Amino acid sequence: MSPRAAWRLESLGFGEVYDYVDGKVDWMAAGLPTEGTNAGRPRAGDAARKDVPTAGLKERLGDVRDRIRAMGWDAVVVVNEERVVLGLLRSKELDGDADLHIEQAMRPGPSTFRPYVSIKEMATFMVEHKLESAPVTTSDGRLVGLLLQQDAIRLAGEK
Amino acid sequence: MKNKTKTLVKCVRCGTPIESCAFCDEPGCRTPTCYECVSTVLVQAKRQPHTHGG
Repeated sequence: MSPRAAWRLESLGFGEVYDYVDGKVDWMAAGLPTEGTNAGRPRAGDAARKDVPTAGLKERLGDVRDRIRAMGWDAVVVVNEERVVLGLLRSKELDGDADLHIEQAMRPGPSTFRPYVSIKEMATFMVEHKLESAPVTTSDGRLVGLLLQQDAIRLAGEK
Repeated sequence: MKNKTKTLVKCVRCGTPIESCAFCDEPGCRTPTCYECVSTVLVQAKRQPHTHGG
């Protein structure tokens, strides 16, 4: 919360009050819980699949493809050891030469979206752009999950 | 030496010339949108969890 709000709460007798320096938007970008009348609105972070498979830069494309398709997936997010998103492979990239390294086959630096983004607007954009999936990350680039277009549409109540 | 220039497209919302769509990054995107417009639409749509003067 803001410093003023924190001071006001202290004046009202609240004992444990902190100034979250990076701000409310950063709090929400980390996928942390919020309260209030709009807190229940579905957001990208709610629909993002947290179980999306990940791969490392040096893995072989053929191995990753076999592994993730056996799990029923057609997309994989490339992350480093800190789980920061470095790239993305959707079905088109996954169909590349099996002997390539992931870093040669991936789509580098994909557009990522914060968890607090309204699911309705994401669904509209994803349909308009025919985007099958979009990575959702915190503001420091760590993977939250992969938002699938079908999930966004379902949650947004669009058909 | 050849100068290789990237083909620019115009943002469908504001007309700004951009190299690629900031939303999908697909070269053949039929509704290319600049980063500014993507951010504006997605962030404006975000409702604050509660309202106060900050």
